[in-house]
Amino acid sequence: MTAREPRFNHHVLVDTTPLPDHIPKVKELGVSSAPLMSASFFIGARCKPYNDDYMKCKTEANGRGELDCMREGRKVTRCAASVLSDVNKHCLAQFRAHWQCLENNNQQMYQCRFYERPLNKCVFDNLGLEKVIPGTPEGTVPVHLREKQIFQRKFT
Amino acid sequence: MPQDMPPSGGYEPVQYKRNLPIRGFRPGWYLVAVGAICTYGFYKYGVGVRELNELGREKMWSRVHIMPLLQAEEDRDQVRRYLADRKREKELLGRETSPYHSDRFVRPYYAATPEKPLKD
Repeated sequence: MTAREPRFNHHVLVDTTPLPDHIPKVKELGVSSAPLMSASFFIGARCKPYNDDYMKCKTEANGRGELDCMREGRKVTRCAASVLSDVNKHCLAQFRAHWQCLENNNQQMYQCRFYERPLNKCVFDNLGLEKVIPGTPEGTVPVHLREKQIFQRKFT
Repeated sequence: MPQDMPPSGGYEPVQYKRNLPIRGFRPGWYLVAVGAICTYGFYKYGVGVRELNELGREKMWSRVHIMPLLQAEEDRDQVRRYLADRKREKELLGRETSPYHSDRFVRPYYAATPEKPLKD
């Protein structure tokens, strides 16, 4: 269409200045979406207090949460990193199988129960973190424990 | 002139009824059958809806558990850029100014682009 030269300006816009030294450093997770989703319930099981703390701090910070809640934010990130490293240490094969399944199945958790069960069992045995979906109606089997699911594709 | 009269003994009975055999069941049963099929279908639909609700709940909670850490990462990045901006401003202007009449954190609309890329 136009004869304008394509030009990337991202490398100019990215500000690479690190945080000042008086703020403690924390290593970012650097995890992509499928492993995060696979580990999310374990993260929730171990880090719920930190997460709630952080969100409460942000709510009550009156618009200054970004600056005032950095301490809580670091705790959240460290806790999640600890969960991920533990899962990697003890259940790497199952974890990898599950998140690759999620990656290949549009991140629909119900397509990956076959890989999820061994992962849940391994994590529960080794780390003691259990997947619990809050708010499941009383008297029904939680959806991740059901033998038969309507919407699951036939496993090939 | 003689008038036409009915035949003696009266007319034959007029056949207005058709003696066709009635096919199928009585109509009421069809209604019952349709009702039963529809009830079964709606039942299966309801089961599916409930399962979808549970799947949605699972997905939502997996996101809820991740959200704080994503937010924390994003906030840290924003603060890093903000502090770098403030520092640059101080170097260039000699003082820190704010266009806002509050001390809230405002995500910047504009980014100051340096002449040279900041990476090395």
